[in-house]
Amino acid sequence: AAMAPRKKITAKIKKTLPVTGPQAPTLSELMKWYCLNTNTHGCRRIVVSRGRLRRFIWILLTLSAVGLILWQCAELLMNYYSASVSVTVQFQKLPFPAVTICNINPYKYSAMKDYLSELDRETKNALETFYGFSEGKSKVRRSVGDGNSTGSELFQQIPLLKFEDFSKTVIDLHSGQKRKIEGKVFHKDSSIVNSGDSNDIIGFQLCDANNSSECALYTFSSGVNAIQEWYKLHYMNIMAQIPLETKEKLSYSADDLILTCFFDGLSCDKRHFTRFHHPLHGNCYTFNSGENETILSTSTGGSEYGLHVVLYIDEADYNPFLVTSTGAKIIVHDQNEYPFIEDIGTEIETAAATSIGMHFTRSRKLSKPYSDCTETGADIPVENLYNKSYSLQICLHSCFQKAMVESCGCAQYAQPLPAGAEYCNYKKNPNWMYCYYRLHEKFVKEQLGCQQICKDACSFKEWALTTSIAQWPSAVSEDWMLRVLSWDKGQKINKKLNKTDLANLMVFYEDLNERFISENPANTLVILLSNFGGQLGLWMSCSVVCVIEIVEVFFIDSLSIVMRRQWQKAKKWWNGRKRKQGGKPSQESELERHGHENPVCIDEDLPTFNTALRLPLPQESPLPRTPPPNYSTLRLENSSAFTEQLPDTLDVGQH
Amino acid sequence: MKLKKYFVRALHRLQKGPGYTYKELLVWYCDNTNTHGPKRIIKEGPKKKFVWFFLTLLFASLVFWQWGILINTYLSYNVTSSLSIGFKTMKFPAVTVCNANPFKYSEVKPLLKELDKLIEAALERILQPTQGDSILPLPLNSSDNISETLDLRLWNQIPLVLIDEHDKDHPVIVDIFETNQTGPGNQTAAPPDTSNTTSEEKKYKLAVKLCSHEGSNDCIYRNFTSAAQAVTEWYILQSTSILSKVPLQERIRMGYQAEDMILACLYGAEPCNYKNFTQIYHPDHGNCYIFNWGMDEEALNSSNPGAEFGLKLILDISQQDYIPYLSSAAGARLMLHQQKSFPFLKDQGIYAMAGTETSIGVLVDELERMGYPYSDCTMNGSDVPVKNLYSEYNTSYSIQACLRSCFQNRMVEICGCGHYMFPLPEGVNYCNNEDNPGWAYCYSSLRSSIGHRQFCIDSCKETCNDTQYKMTISMADWPSEASEDWIFHILSYERDMSTNVTLDRNGIIKLNIYFQEYNYRTISESAATTIVWLLSSLGGQFGFWMGGSVLCLIEFGEIIIDSLWITIINVISWCKGLKQKRAQARYPDAPPTVSELVEAHTNLGFQHEDSRAPPSGATCRDEALPPEPGTPPPNYDSLRVQPLDVLDVDSDAE
Repeated sequence: AAMAPRKKITAKIKKTLPVTGPQAPTLSELMKWYCLNTNTHGCRRIVVSRGRLRRFIWILLTLSAVGLILWQCAELLMNYYSASVSVTVQFQKLPFPAVTICNINPYKYSAMKDYLSELDRETKNALETFYGFSEGKSKVRRSVGDGNSTGSELFQQIPLLKFEDFSKTVIDLHSGQKRKIEGKVFHKDSSIVNSGDSNDIIGFQLCDANNSSECALYTFSSGVNAIQEWYKLHYMNIMAQIPLETKEKLSYSADDLILTCFFDGLSCDKRHFTRFHHPLHGNCYTFNSGENETILSTSTGGSEYGLHVVLYIDEADYNPFLVTSTGAKIIVHDQNEYPFIEDIGTEIETAAATSIGMHFTRSRKLSKPYSDCTETGADIPVENLYNKSYSLQICLHSCFQKAMVESCGCAQYAQPLPAGAEYCNYKKNPNWMYCYYRLHEKFVKEQLGCQQICKDACSFKEWALTTSIAQWPSAVSEDWMLRVLSWDKGQKINKKLNKTDLANLMVFYEDLNERFISENPANTLVILLSNFGGQLGLWMSCSVVCVIEIVEVFFIDSLSIVMRRQWQKAKKWWNGRKRKQGGKPSQESELERHGHENPVCIDEDLPTFNTALRLPLPQESPLPRTPPPNYSTLRLENSSAFTEQLPDTLDVGQH
Repeated sequence: MKLKKYFVRALHRLQKGPGYTYKELLVWYCDNTNTHGPKRIIKEGPKKKFVWFFLTLLFASLVFWQWGILINTYLSYNVTSSLSIGFKTMKFPAVTVCNANPFKYSEVKPLLKELDKLIEAALERILQPTQGDSILPLPLNSSDNISETLDLRLWNQIPLVLIDEHDKDHPVIVDIFETNQTGPGNQTAAPPDTSNTTSEEKKYKLAVKLCSHEGSNDCIYRNFTSAAQAVTEWYILQSTSILSKVPLQERIRMGYQAEDMILACLYGAEPCNYKNFTQIYHPDHGNCYIFNWGMDEEALNSSNPGAEFGLKLILDISQQDYIPYLSSAAGARLMLHQQKSFPFLKDQGIYAMAGTETSIGVLVDELERMGYPYSDCTMNGSDVPVKNLYSEYNTSYSIQACLRSCFQNRMVEICGCGHYMFPLPEGVNYCNNEDNPGWAYCYSSLRSSIGHRQFCIDSCKETCNDTQYKMTISMADWPSEASEDWIFHILSYERDMSTNVTLDRNGIIKLNIYFQEYNYRTISESAATTIVWLLSSLGGQFGFWMGGSVLCLIEFGEIIIDSLWITIINVISWCKGLKQKRAQARYPDAPPTVSELVEAHTNLGFQHEDSRAPPSGATCRDEALPPEPGTPPPNYDSLRVQPLDVLDVDSDAE
């Protein structure tokens, strides 16, 4: 007995559930049905409103709401790839960075004598010729050969020139003779020709060996620069011919450079340093290079717990022409980074204690599509010549070196060698200097395309340094300090060290706060969809369901209606022709007129939305018990109300 | 009784609303809900019904999934940072100036006399040139009488030893003064191979011998690669022990006095003098003087950038009065810090060199963070489990203070006395060699213990507001050679009231501290996800997929309650049915059950449904169903009349 009502209800549901969509024979009816039944707001108002003005206003409002939604959603989409920045600070045990220390002077001058004597003599010769500087006046450091050997031909190829009164007359260093330089030789664009009334302009000329008329002239406002540049040019030539092992021997050993070492309250020695040969700075030593997979870390900030070294800078053994300042250069970098000490090193003074406090900052950018940076450098078409992790600097240097090898046939001395190339020198590549200078100029002017190819790295570590200097050793401690350090240096040396040969360096973390600046995507898909939903809901109370409805009604259903219409027309036309042919007015045509109501005519594949049309028309035969009379009246009322209400919409819909 | 009342009410609601069965309920819900999907399920043909059912389920699960993500995002308490840069009137930082040397040598000489004699003699021994192949510092032939005059008791507490590493496997340890009970000269014979004359390599190392207590064998050798380091460390240990016995007043007297050190002061256009500085005793640097500390008076503001409006100081560090073995670097130590914070000069101090003018442009780099749960930081240090020993200075919490307090607390715990460099907890004394003979050993092992450091790092938290003073430091020689004479003359005259020049290049320092053109850079955090954000995102998601709102959720809840009622009714009817069956066994004619009674009422919801439903195919199909025998047609019809007006009202409202 309990089952009885349930059964009844199932029957009712069966009756109710398959209630199908609008019985829309025409587009206008479909529209009306849609407007009345859709979940979006606005449409319904259009249909329900009475009066043209009101309806017009509602149409306008609905359309503007649609417009607003489209606009706002487009904005949301366009701002999708934006990043927000967050800064976090973490107090923790910090990895100590690698500290690379170099003497400013690359090689012991006394050891380089064999290689550089000719060049030095030539330089001194130039100094005497042009400036009247004779060695007698200066303190004689050492005798550089005797004047009897003839000057190398190589130096004669690119001599220093002195220009007289800015005319094209030059004095050649070697011949001492005046000669004229032809007008076309001047490449004003390639030379930094300085204005001014100085009558002593000094410079040198680089010519294409194959085509002697192609020359570039380099002039300098000061002889100091000119001589140094010229010296460096020849120096690189000479150094390029010396094999690496020899060069390492010519430079300073760890024992030479590092006198005392103290890290984190404990003594350290040369085993904690890794040798690294830098082409311009000779042997450099990297503390905590992570070579044996262990990276030292600091768990206490402050000067006592950092790296504390005393360096021995042998000032007497400096090359007088190559470097003119005294001291050391240091750079604080990550273990994976290549130390570009010539570019971004910090200089350390002698006879002083340099205290360098560090703050550690780590930054991370978002790569594509947020910004144009590279994670590993793998997507950059430039081969990484340094065997360290990618950085912009590495890319630029590698790019230049590649271009150099391609166009000059040999590699520049200051950068690592690509596979299969060798360093430029006079003997093999007599033309390289001219080539190099042209190429370098192009590089600086961004004509090589390196700056376009190379991107910055997405993540980088930075140690902000605060450098301060104190006098060291102090006047009263100087005496014992120098004595003890001399003893440290080696018992055999009886001579006391000079304080200008020493530099005291402290590198430490000021605090153990690590700042981590990272970019995060400001939007995720979830948030984007939420924002869409918010916009849709705000203006029209719409959702994805509504969008599907729209697609359904406006595309599938209306298309099917149109198709059906066309099909009927075609059929009608066909029938008409048939009737003309046959001449018999058949009853079929009567049926055809209401073809859309005829289930037979309807394509089986049409969407279910119109399944109602497929079904037989409501039979007039009263069903037993179900449809009571008042039911049908209600229905009639409804439909009539609509037809009265919306004559114009109907008209519009019917075309 | 109450239960019955509720029951009747529920029945009423079910009558008017959703119907008696789950299906009825569902259909009613689908038709009447404001959520977009379900409506379509019941409105369409069978194929579409399925599609819509599937879509609705899909969207609902999508909504829940995305809600999960959103709530997760909210609970991760992300922050966004905003950066502002510019110039504004700001509090001028507190400036602490100290001398790198803590005490005047002339004052502490009596205390350190013995120590200096010892180290001089020791250095004499170490540094004497190697004689042929003999082991280095011995024998003691000439210095026997010297050792008599030395205070060897002091030496023996923490001796310096020489480690002979000629033989790598058997290093020989030689005490420099050979003052063992066995007498001098005994161990001299010990080194076996003295024939090795290749003195290229360094063969000797200095080490500090630290024993847990005097004369015991529990000793460690702290060896140094450099003798300079060893001597300095040794001297610091010894002098610490000596100075820790001196009362604070005496120590302050021995340090540099403000009037001697601060020669000239100018803040903006206003003159200031040493009286504007607050004295503080710093164990590393003796007397330090803090300008603009803000303890007693209002902190000074600076409203202009540039050196003209900053602080200008002339200091004298009198380098001739330095303790020779204690500090080898000469200069002033200075630090910029926040008001009411303790200056930790060893960490963040910078040097200023004598004979130079040092200009410091300041940029205040602030980081304002949100506290828990956004980041793990502390606002005032009250929630840190370490007792802040620096609170005796009335200074605010800082991570450095916490780390040092942590260390000192551990030191007191383990070694039984406090280290001289840090403030003392109550009732504890500083360590010295007499009272705590093993303190140096204890301190040294504690200091190098990684575990202890990690413990302190873990227990201390950083402050939420982190202020760094970024300094741009530049230097020039000062005074210039031309102006040197008159400047020294005036400054000497002003300080000592005599016409004798008492200053020189080695002691005089000029400092300019000023704000840069942009004097602040503030990074402040704000919550990336607020509760408003969460709600609007949740609403957005729900609206986007299903057009729903909170009300829809309430509707859903209502339906669940209804279904609960239906369950109850069903259970009751089932029970009654069971009873009835039993009763039927006795009486052939059963009385009407509850369900029959319920059924006797018609359902409003259904009629509503019916009225809307077009007489379509469904009805046609329904024909196939046999007419239910249990339904009495008359009352059905009569009930039908009633809802008509209700429906009319409904359709009008539409």
